[in-house]
Amino acid sequence: MFFALIGILIGMAIGFLLPYTYSAAYSLYISVAILACLDSVFGGIRANLENKFDVSIFLSGFFGNAIIAAFLAYVGDRLGVPLYYAAIFTFGGRLFENFAGIRRIILFRRKLKKDN
Amino acid sequence: MDDIIKTKFAILFSSIVLGIFISVQFKHNIPAIPLATLRSIQETRKEIDAIIDERNDLEELIVEKERKIEEFENIIHEDRDIIDILGDDLEKNKLISGLKDVQGSGIVVTLYDNMAEGALGEEYDLDVVHDVDILRIINDLRGAGAEAISINDERILSITEIKCGGPIIRANGKSLGGAPFYIRAIGDQKLLSAAINAPNTYSYALKTIDQINVETTIEDDIEIPAYRGRFNFRYAKPLKEGD
Repeated sequence: MFFALIGILIGMAIGFLLPYTYSAAYSLYISVAILACLDSVFGGIRANLENKFDVSIFLSGFFGNAIIAAFLAYVGDRLGVPLYYAAIFTFGGRLFENFAGIRRIILFRRKLKKDN
Repeated sequence: MDDIIKTKFAILFSSIVLGIFISVQFKHNIPAIPLATLRSIQETRKEIDAIIDERNDLEELIVEKERKIEEFENIIHEDRDIIDILGDDLEKNKLISGLKDVQGSGIVVTLYDNMAEGALGEEYDLDVVHDVDILRIINDLRGAGAEAISINDERILSITEIKCGGPIIRANGKSLGGAPFYIRAIGDQKLLSAAINAPNTYSYALKTIDQINVETTIEDDIEIPAYRGRFNFRYAKPLKEGD
């Protein structure tokens, strides 16, 4: 959790300082990809708290989901079907699920400590 | 221990990547481009093109008006008489409205009925030239940029009707007589004859399917008479400027 927050802050600092940007035409695809990444990071934190974390699963999910989400958004644009909704619903829903899991684990641990 | 470090490193690394993307996305000011899809970009591009065209037209208009002002200034300096200028204007407007005989290069389309006996079944109706055929051909010629058109020496204007009158065809309220019909058009000869002879045009179908005789000849000196009818504008009134 802590590392994720630090990482996002460092990344944002780097991003703001870097002079590079991509074309604004791709911002839709990138935003869907960001959603997928965000979901992966939340999933990673949750798995970490549940002691089920696996580096290869995490990294492949992180990049794979982002690429598929962006690709779906692109293909949808070409076909005239807003396929990026699929990514938004899936990853958005899972993001909340993961967050709920994280909350439960942390609150449960605190309760255990108190009881002891 | 090694696993925990790996885990933390993986999360840290991916978070940094995520952070970079988020901040770059922030830099784009997303509210300004809500869902910039490829299609909306294309639409906007077309809009821009249209606006540029409009602007160019306005610029041309400015140049034209400036020339007009110059002309009027010349009148003040008494280089030219105002009657001359008004006369020029009158001639120009007559030419535009079809009240002047014109001549120039163009094509002559000759249409006459299918003379072969018993051609194409027994349907006699299919073997004659109809008003609709002439209308379609004239429309094709206009599309190809014809500047003046006449049928059997009757000037065809924007208000001219072309009607079936039994064995004859009427235009401008007068009879054009029966076939053959000579359609004369002044304009770019290549474009005009392509509009008649190119495959998949209406007259090509007339020629090949209905076996009606459509002949085109390219001529360098075509004379087209002026419109001799009247303009009766009973309902259309000019819109006052500033209204």
